[in-house]
Amino acid sequence: MESVLDQGNTTFLLISAAFVLLMTPGLAFFYGGMVKAKSVVSMMMLSFGSLGLVGVLWVLYGYAIAFADGPSKVNSGESFIGIDGWFGIDLAKIGLGSPFADATNGAAAFPELGFVAFQATFAIITVALISGAIADRAKFGAWMVFAGLWATFVYFPVANWVFNFDLGEGGVVDGGWIAYDLGAIDFAGGTAVHINAGAAGLALAIVLGKRFGFSKGITQPHNVPLTLLGVSLLWFGWFGFNAGSELAADGIAAIAFINTLAAPAAAMLGWIIVEYFKHGKATSIGAGSGAVAGLVAITPACASVSPMYAMLLGVIAGVLCALAVDLKFSFGFDDSLDVVGIHLVGGIVGTLFIGFFGEGVGAAFGFGWDQLLAQAIGAGAVLVYSFVLALLIGFAIDKSIGFRVKAEDEIAGIDTVVHGEEAYAFGADRG
Amino acid sequence: MQSDSTVAFLIICSAMVLFMTPGLAFFYGGLVRASSVVSMMMMSFGSVGLVGTLWVFYGYAMSFASATNSGFIGLDGFFGLDPAKLLLASSYQAASDGNGFDLVFAGFQGTFAIITVALISGAIADRARFGGWMIFAALWATFAYFPIAGWVFNFSVENGAVVDGGFLVFNLGLMDFAGGTVVEVASGAAALAVALVVGRRFGFAKGMHAPHNVPLTLIGAAILWFGWFGFNAGSQLAADGTAALAFVNTLVAPVGALISWSLYERLALGKPTAVGAASGAVSGLVAITPSCAYLHPVWALVLGLVVGVVCALAVELKWKLGFDDSLDVVGIHLVGGIVGTLFIGLAGEKVGLFFTGDPTQLGRQAAGVAIVGIWSFSVAWLSAMLVQKTFGFRVKSTDEIAGVDRVIHGETAYSETDPRWTWRG
Repeated sequence: MESVLDQGNTTFLLISAAFVLLMTPGLAFFYGGMVKAKSVVSMMMLSFGSLGLVGVLWVLYGYAIAFADGPSKVNSGESFIGIDGWFGIDLAKIGLGSPFADATNGAAAFPELGFVAFQATFAIITVALISGAIADRAKFGAWMVFAGLWATFVYFPVANWVFNFDLGEGGVVDGGWIAYDLGAIDFAGGTAVHINAGAAGLALAIVLGKRFGFSKGITQPHNVPLTLLGVSLLWFGWFGFNAGSELAADGIAAIAFINTLAAPAAAMLGWIIVEYFKHGKATSIGAGSGAVAGLVAITPACASVSPMYAMLLGVIAGVLCALAVDLKFSFGFDDSLDVVGIHLVGGIVGTLFIGFFGEGVGAAFGFGWDQLLAQAIGAGAVLVYSFVLALLIGFAIDKSIGFRVKAEDEIAGIDTVVHGEEAYAFGADRG
Repeated sequence: MQSDSTVAFLIICSAMVLFMTPGLAFFYGGLVRASSVVSMMMMSFGSVGLVGTLWVFYGYAMSFASATNSGFIGLDGFFGLDPAKLLLASSYQAASDGNGFDLVFAGFQGTFAIITVALISGAIADRARFGGWMIFAALWATFAYFPIAGWVFNFSVENGAVVDGGFLVFNLGLMDFAGGTVVEVASGAAALAVALVVGRRFGFAKGMHAPHNVPLTLIGAAILWFGWFGFNAGSQLAADGTAALAFVNTLVAPVGALISWSLYERLALGKPTAVGAASGAVSGLVAITPSCAYLHPVWALVLGLVVGVVCALAVELKWKLGFDDSLDVVGIHLVGGIVGTLFIGLAGEKVGLFFTGDPTQLGRQAAGVAIVGIWSFSVAWLSAMLVQKTFGFRVKSTDEIAGVDRVIHGETAYSETDPRWTWRG
């Protein structure tokens, strides 16, 4: 068979996957800098633990669930078990069997194994994102159990709904129900990644309850440069996340790339302007959070809007998220590092924005309200599904092995209790 | 001639691998005391400067000496120099004529030489003189790394078979995709030699040396992992299916090792640590380096799970045997490199004992490991002894106790007035 392998696109896909993998450590540093010095090890380990666990599950069966092709596919019709487009598994893909067998045959523009790696990094970071809601107080073992269950029953199927589809004449011709039946547009994961993780974060914050001393201003970030380093790695990796989702280095990838620059830049400004008017001072944590809010919001929309509208979206997301992060104090749920305020709210804003201002679909350009309705149904479905399952899994864990450390351990700082190590040894030089 | 896409792939991969050496500096830097982190990082940065320079001058001409060139001096496939490649002359000429591949390849391989030397420095934390280290680095690069890279990485392929090249890959038939022997076994064996020559730190006993900055170590591990994708996938020298396989395995093996090291800590010692998780990931990366293109991903996962536990046990050896391999270069790189290289003989597609019932490849892998290990150890021991007897390799004991940063580099990593000195959460 003639090889159609395109080394340019394969290069792009592999490098993008490496970029996205770097985002999870980046997230660990972003979150780690914001907690107390005595719980930074625990905070980072929630991300690194996800990296290890979800990576393993992805190889074993995650890819086979997330990219299970239904009976309509010639190759995998016989090995598919489940409901096409909803929840199923493709036995041929377990243990990456069929992608490995096809690795060197050159039958596609890029090897499927490259796509496997790229999507693995998405699964990993989505799970890690949730951990921001349970800072300072979660047991590591309980978190790992949660991560394994949530990935299996929520992320893998939801990724199928959104990311598993085939393009043909006139658009999507087969695939997961949100992408195919509903026709919602989510280019790089506003629903599957951000709304998904944000809703689960809200559920876990409710399950675990409030930290001791949960009230505005009591908890200060212990290491702001570490947080900004994390933001930088996230933004860097996000170019691979958004532009890489095109799976080819072409014009759409360039649009996604430039919007991944424009939206967070505008959102950063939007956030610090809100801070300035509310508190009189622009903080660097605010600038970092603003950039992340813009990155979240542009994720679903990066290929659907022009750069001007990307900046409009960025400003809206920056302002709304800056206001939304105060909700936890009003409603009394301890979403410690603002997974809800940034990822859930930002993800919803970005997903709905397509319904208003998406090129060729938006209501503002006279294309009616159908797309907005589809966007809202997609966002709402993922939100409800993720929230309910995360709540059930979280409660089950809390009632059985316990999700939260003992009160005295939490007050003392959990790093030494849970991990047996301290993050810093400065003053007392024990060498 | 290679396409623009191939050259683009290799350029990006080279940049990623170069980034690994600063990553290593942070990984090591976080593990030492606050009063020797500058010294620790400078040993890696010093390698970047020194080995990078030597590579351009004559390293590439030694490692990739081609005996078919008329000017070749030395023993073909073992130790020699190709004058046409001194100062990258022939590669530069090819690039000027429109084919940049050779020159990018020289850059790509230069980053391998740099990090291999830097890896060794973990064995002599807290107590090495910077000048002594730099002399050692030059000697070891010249007499160990450059020739060994030729033994393994320098070969020509026709119709899928190696038709000429270094004696390990061509005559022996060693399979080492990205450097399990050249990089990992070589640096680990050298680290053992240097640790023996330089001797133990004051207060060398388990639990005496707590890492001063765990987040810095995790930053280093993250950068290492990121760069390692370029290291392993880039070693295919083309963005194709084999590169994708190497890439996936560079994700799979370290996640397995991260999990198994943490589980081992949890079950055997009670608590999973962040430094353990990072070390686990690195041990998985080390083990998959030689084997990344030869294993099914499920076998890569098995290799990761195995090596995480093996290395977690191996890092305890230094306490039992009494050599101060301070940051576990032996326990992770030597042991992990051996495990990964031998694993090809067991589970490698089409060649492994598990599939063929034939131990031939396993024997070749073992021979390759032994030859590289012994050569590297010997060169390192002799070079380190030479440095020790002439200039001195180790700082004065009073300086070591006070902390080497201010003595050697005249700077401290963190200002005492910094509020972090009183961080208590």
